[in-house]
Amino acid sequence: MGVASLPRLLGGDEMYWVKQMKRIWNEPMLLAMIVLIWVLLAVFVLYPIIMVGLKSFEPKSGVYGFGVYRTLFSKRYFVTPIINTLKLGVTVASVGVLVGYLFAYAITKVNIPMKGLFRTIATFPIISPPFVIALAAILLFGRNGVITRKFFAGIPPFEIYGFWGLVIVETLAYFPTAFMTLEAILMSISSDLEEASLSLGSSKWRTFWRVTFPLSMPGILSAWLLVFSQSMADFGNPLILGGRYHVLSVSAYLEITGSYRISYGSGLAILLLIPTLIAFFVQRYWLSRKSYVTVTGKPSIVRALEPKFYVKVIFTAICLILVSTIFLFYGTVLFGSFTKLWGVNHTLTLENYKFAFTYNWEFIKDTLVLASIATPLCGILGIMIAYLVARKQFPGRRAMEAVSLLTFAVPGTVVGIGYLLAFNQKPLLLTGTALIIILVFVFRELPVGVQNGVAALYQIDRSIEEASLDLGSSSNQTFWRITLPLLMPAFFNALFTAFVRSMTAISAVIFVVSGKWNLITVRILGAVGNSDLAQAAALSYVLIGIVLIAMFVLRFLTMNFSYQTKIRRAIS
Amino acid sequence: MKRLFVLALVVLIAMVSFAKEQVLHIYTALDENEWPIYVKAFEQATGIKVQVVRMSSGELLARVEAEAKNPQASVWFGGPAIDQIAAKKKGLLAPYKSEAVEKVPAAFKDPDGYWIGIYFGAIAFGSNTQQLKQLGVDAPTSWYDLLKPQFKGRISLAYPYTSGTAYTVLAALVAIMGEDKAFDYWKQLHKQIHHYNTSGSACVTQAGLGEITVGIAFAHDIITKGIDKGYPIVLTFPKEPTGYEIGAMSMIKGAPEPDLAAKFIDWMLSAEAQSLMVKWNRIPINPEATVAPGAVKMQDVNIVPMDFEYFGAQKDRLIERWKEEIEYGM
Repeated sequence: MGVASLPRLLGGDEMYWVKQMKRIWNEPMLLAMIVLIWVLLAVFVLYPIIMVGLKSFEPKSGVYGFGVYRTLFSKRYFVTPIINTLKLGVTVASVGVLVGYLFAYAITKVNIPMKGLFRTIATFPIISPPFVIALAAILLFGRNGVITRKFFAGIPPFEIYGFWGLVIVETLAYFPTAFMTLEAILMSISSDLEEASLSLGSSKWRTFWRVTFPLSMPGILSAWLLVFSQSMADFGNPLILGGRYHVLSVSAYLEITGSYRISYGSGLAILLLIPTLIAFFVQRYWLSRKSYVTVTGKPSIVRALEPKFYVKVIFTAICLILVSTIFLFYGTVLFGSFTKLWGVNHTLTLENYKFAFTYNWEFIKDTLVLASIATPLCGILGIMIAYLVARKQFPGRRAMEAVSLLTFAVPGTVVGIGYLLAFNQKPLLLTGTALIIILVFVFRELPVGVQNGVAALYQIDRSIEEASLDLGSSSNQTFWRITLPLLMPAFFNALFTAFVRSMTAISAVIFVVSGKWNLITVRILGAVGNSDLAQAAALSYVLIGIVLIAMFVLRFLTMNFSYQTKIRRAIS
Repeated sequence: MKRLFVLALVVLIAMVSFAKEQVLHIYTALDENEWPIYVKAFEQATGIKVQVVRMSSGELLARVEAEAKNPQASVWFGGPAIDQIAAKKKGLLAPYKSEAVEKVPAAFKDPDGYWIGIYFGAIAFGSNTQQLKQLGVDAPTSWYDLLKPQFKGRISLAYPYTSGTAYTVLAALVAIMGEDKAFDYWKQLHKQIHHYNTSGSACVTQAGLGEITVGIAFAHDIITKGIDKGYPIVLTFPKEPTGYEIGAMSMIKGAPEPDLAAKFIDWMLSAEAQSLMVKWNRIPINPEATVAPGAVKMQDVNIVPMDFEYFGAQKDRLIERWKEEIEYGM
């Protein structure tokens, strides 16, 4: 997209744009950066997605038309997954938001004990590879699972392979998203309003339904849409646990890797993309404006109300059940990783870890190398975009932000197929290289850097930078000496998140891995597919171990390199 | 800002300069725990470095097809010959002939050298003995035994489109019963299936674990991944004839490392390499190789003659029919 054509595209005052253009023209470095970033975004974000779209209109190579979609909506083996995916997404989003709301309410509004602990454990599913929970579900509730055998005499209480299994697993995996969104919203609701309602004679029950609940409505919708998208895009869990319940991401994958019918796979991917994109834009550009955040001018104070004893007991019980379920799931996988042959011989052994570090060392090494290269690139690019978007004026600024956040909304399956299509031919022949995996990581996690950066930049008062400029520093010096150091915590945070997400990613990269570069998540999925459950468990814990180490390194870095802490330390 | 660019550039260059060493790239359909047996021995014997990606046969075919313009691997190692015949018909393989290949009996290779047999394997049933006892049934000894009500929701195998094992099952049923009857039979069988896997041998472990009762797979996988591992598994064959595979390898067209690939193929046919199959209870093609005592030989089972050329050519059509009529047909 040429910068020069933007003004007309966007409409607006002609003179204003001319002035803007002139200003940018006078800052060649800025112009170069804008152009560079647009080129990168166009090639690595937009182009692959467009390729998926185009391919879905090409049922046979060289033939164009609606043939693919006509088939998709007429054959049962395509229609079923479409309905299944939506059904699962709606159920998981509803259950996940309910659980997330109860949990968030308990932590912010009910004065329950052990809040900190509950919070930490609830966010655990976020940093672990997503399909560990599915693995645990098999170990626990499969025909030969521990619970099935011990408590149900070998007859599963319900079919874990299929719809209900997926609902449980995805709810556990994605309710933290709902929890975090809702926690933020509930925290922003000032307790003064609730107290006012109470002192006017309403009961607590009534106060909740008339004050707290309506105020948290935008957050509920937001959380619902986020969890819905995550469930729609989920690939690892349905692949492991779907059984005969097919969803779009798995069907698209099987269509391409099993039958090499790329057009149909692309068509399914587009059907997957549409609802997630709608959810993303509604959530981001419509709901975020409807927020009823209570602005009073005074800092809003959240006091956990001292509730009746039985209310407290109920909420504590709910939290305890949830947290112990998470514990049970992760604990089972940990135990499984030390057993000789899960289900038959539970003698403890280190064999699986030995196996992980000898035969699978290449996978661990490659994943680490690729994620370590991608993470800083992703962070730098993210901060660059954030800086441009938050601090500079130029045409297409909004569009740049939107495009850079786009990969958040696009399911990994779509991105993976897009990269497969876009970079499988000259001039950009990248299949089989390390570069293509790195690029997937960088551009998939880019929104993390951009979002963290923009948020941090809005918090840094411009006057600090202006002071530096007034004192005679160039804008370049100001950036390096003032802005960047202040951005460091956000930067490291983005690095950590991008690193974790890259290490545990599966849905997009599974389409671009090759013999030269292999990923541990793909290996784990293979091991689960092969029912080598103990091996899979050990590999999962190796991965969790790496993530935990990264977390400590990050803590160390933020503590030692951020200005805020330095200042704080100097003051105290 | 400049520093950022320099940094990015340095990282980029460092990345590109990785991966330069001459290595042989292999795609294999053998089990993740099996291929290292041969590959590590080959690396030790020749000093050539090998990198391997494991996929199920159907996935491997799709991958080679996807990469036709830009092949990433040189050798297709293992899995039923049918899939490699399908690949040959699509023009994805290169013919290879050598002294070692000459020695392979004609029945076990392509006349033009597009694929070369490595081992023989027969389709069998692996059943969990504990569950059989619980259900009060005998291990199945006929395809029709699988339709017994006790086995409802307790059988598993793989998708015929991702797995060479499962496509061999489909082809065998067509060879035994005729196409329409075979599909009618599978419609009955489908009601008994708990779930389908992507990998052909996964059902053996699942039967071992008791997730299912009967797995349909190759006999060598049932012995190695089931019985030898200590799972309560019993191996049986259908008394109507059963199907079989010639496990094969081939050179991929446009192979990036044709010389190394040739060395690997020749080495894999040697008695030394073929004897390693003892560890997986396979029946090697090379008559000089050692055979595992428990392995199931060709003369031990009643097998149906299978026209691999036909089933290789018909794969796309049969799979389409299977998806439409069986997987989502009911």
